[in-house]
Parts: sequence; structure tokens; C-alpha cells
Amino acid sequence: MKAQSVLGSAALGVGLGTLLLPAAALADTTVSPATTPVGGTVVLTSTCNPKSGDALFRVTGPDRDQNVRSTTAAAGGGLSAELFTAGFTLGTYTVTATCGDGSSSGNATFTVTPIGGAPAGAGADPDNTGFLAAGGTLVGAAATGAALLMRRRRRAGTRP
Amino acid sequence: MPTGDRMPRAAVALIALTGIAGGGLLAVGATRTPPRPPQPAPGTVTDPATGRTTVPATPLPRATPLRITIPTLDVTADLVPVAASAAGELEVPPTHRPTVAGWYRLGASPGEAGNAVVVGHVDSRETGPAVFFALGRLRPGDRIHITRSDTQVATFAVDGVGSYPKTGFPTGLVYGAGTVPRLRLITCGGRFDERAHSYLDNVVVYATLIP
Repeated sequence: MKAQSVLGSAALGVGLGTLLLPAAALADTTVSPATTPVGGTVVLTSTCNPKSGDALFRVTGPDRDQNVRSTTAAAGGGLSAELFTAGFTLGTYTVTATCGDGSSSGNATFTVTPIGGAPAGAGADPDNTGFLAAGGTLVGAAATGAALLMRRRRRAGTRP
Repeated sequence: MPTGDRMPRAAVALIALTGIAGGGLLAVGATRTPPRPPQPAPGTVTDPATGRTTVPATPLPRATPLRITIPTLDVTADLVPVAASAAGELEVPPTHRPTVAGWYRLGASPGEAGNAVVVGHVDSRETGPAVFFALGRLRPGDRIHITRSDTQVATFAVDGVGSYPKTGFPTGLVYGAGTVPRLRLITCGGRFDERAHSYLDNVVVYATLIP
């Protein structure tokens, strides 16, 4: 029964493939958060099997190409490492992970951004100096005029 | 002597009028405040594009943006590239050029996949209202056009506008990467802190590239 044997092998192959595919699909790399202000910390996580050894995260981006070795077992399985972005050039970085057994664990990206908001306003100065100068001049003129009038009235009162 | 009586009475009236006018001008000078920009509602922490029916256009290749036009606000302004200061703070166009806006050149270009960021002053001490003074008046559906160096004009539809304290700036929503071509406009807003010479909030406009 050669045909039956071939069919059986094919069925076994399909069955194994179906069983193995979800595991293969899980082999993935994530970065959290995907966006961080420069100086922030991101966590690189790979679904590599910790029993295979440390995972290696290769971080590439604007003027940077560095390897980061996994340091901890991730809470949900896999391996992770923290990456401190102080001194990073702003921009988008790609993280490619390789498992301890040499297999690839996919890649992910994260973006290093400016810190906080933007200082995009200085507060308009209403420039009230014209009003103050004109007001001051008029008040001064009125005061001078009033003083002159008083003086004139006093003189008129003392005239014989 | 009628002339003598009339003269002091007229003089008294003139002096009184002068004093009142001068006092009025002094009061105006002491209390007049600059115009304040329109304030949108507090922003949310979710992208206003979520749930909207706007169908994004296909992303364009990278190209330097040259000019921004916002017909609703009657704004047309040149764009200059900006990056970040040594402290990591987003650069803004020079204060002596309050009529230009800045494109954050380390991010996506307008029309490219991802978030393109454009920043502009809300006002200037010297000249008053600046290029993005009225940004808070934009409403969903308003159009923003960006003229690019490849002669294409990228048109964006506003998804939403929000105001955020600078201490709670929505970094991920503004700079986040992605496959959809989006635009973020940033300016200042909220209360002006006279002591710090700075506004306390940022106004963010969210928009998506449309065909």
C-alpha cells in the first residue's frame, strides 16, 4: 500500500504543520512603548524560548547599530531587555531579535521623539506704552493748567 | 469783566476734559490685554481618527514640505525644517519669523506613511497673533493642504482638535509611527504664565491624508 503510506505521511505532515504553525507565528518581537521621548526606557521582548539561551536584540536606526542581550524572562513568556534611550538621536529604530538557538524572532520598530510639548507662543505684548505716554502727557497738561488757574485766581483775590 | 469770567470757565472746562481724557488713556494703558487664542476642548488620549469614516489616501513618497494652507483660517505659510534642541525639546521656528511654520524633519513628511508633525507659533510679543493663532477654531472635516517639493499637494481632513497640558503631552498620538499618512499640527494654548513667559497647554490638530 504505497499510496496509503504516502497519504498517511502527507496527513501526518499537514497535522504536524497545523500544530507547529501557531508556535511559529508566536515567534515575534515587540517594543513597548512604541513611542518614547528621548531619555525614556523601552522594553524589548521576544517570544524566544528561554531554554535556548539569551536572545539578542539588534537595534538599528539613525547613527546607531547596537546589540542588546536579553536580561530577564518576560512575564508572558519569552525574553526581554530594557533599553534606555538617553543620547539617542530622534527618529525611528528597528529591533531585530535572534533567539539563543540562532533562529530569527522577527522585528519591530519604535520611535524616539522630542520631550514634551512645544514652546510655540511667547504671549502677545499689547504694547500699551503709547496709551500710557499720551495719558500721562494729558494728565500732566491738565495739572499744569489747573495750577496756573489757581495761581491766577489767588493773585486776582489779593489785588487791591 | 465778562471776558475775564469767560476765559477761566472755558479754561476750567478744557482742563477738566484734558484730565478726563488723560485718565482714560492711562486706564486703558494699564488694563488693556492682548488677544487670546481660541481654545478647543481638552484633548482625549485616543486618536480622534478612531471610528471616523475618513478613508485615508495611499501614502506618498518622502518629499520636503514647502507650504501649508488652511483655507478655513485663511492661513498660508512657508514651512521650514525643525528638529529638536539639545535638551530634546521640539524646536520651533525662530521667534522673529512668527508667520512661518516648522516641519519636524526627523519624522515622516506630510503625505508619507506615519505621522508628520508641523509646529507654529500662536503669538509673538512683538507682532501679536502668529501663524497658528486660530488653530483651535478648526473642526473635523476642515481641510489642510501641504505643498511638497515634488510639486504634489497633500490634502488632509481634520479628525479632531484637542488641548493638552504641556505636562501631559500626548507623545504617542503626535509622533507615533504607522502605515496611515497622518498630519499633526501643534501650537500653544491655554493660560499664559506671565512669570514663565510660556503657555501652559499645547493645542494639537489631528488630520488624515485624503484622496
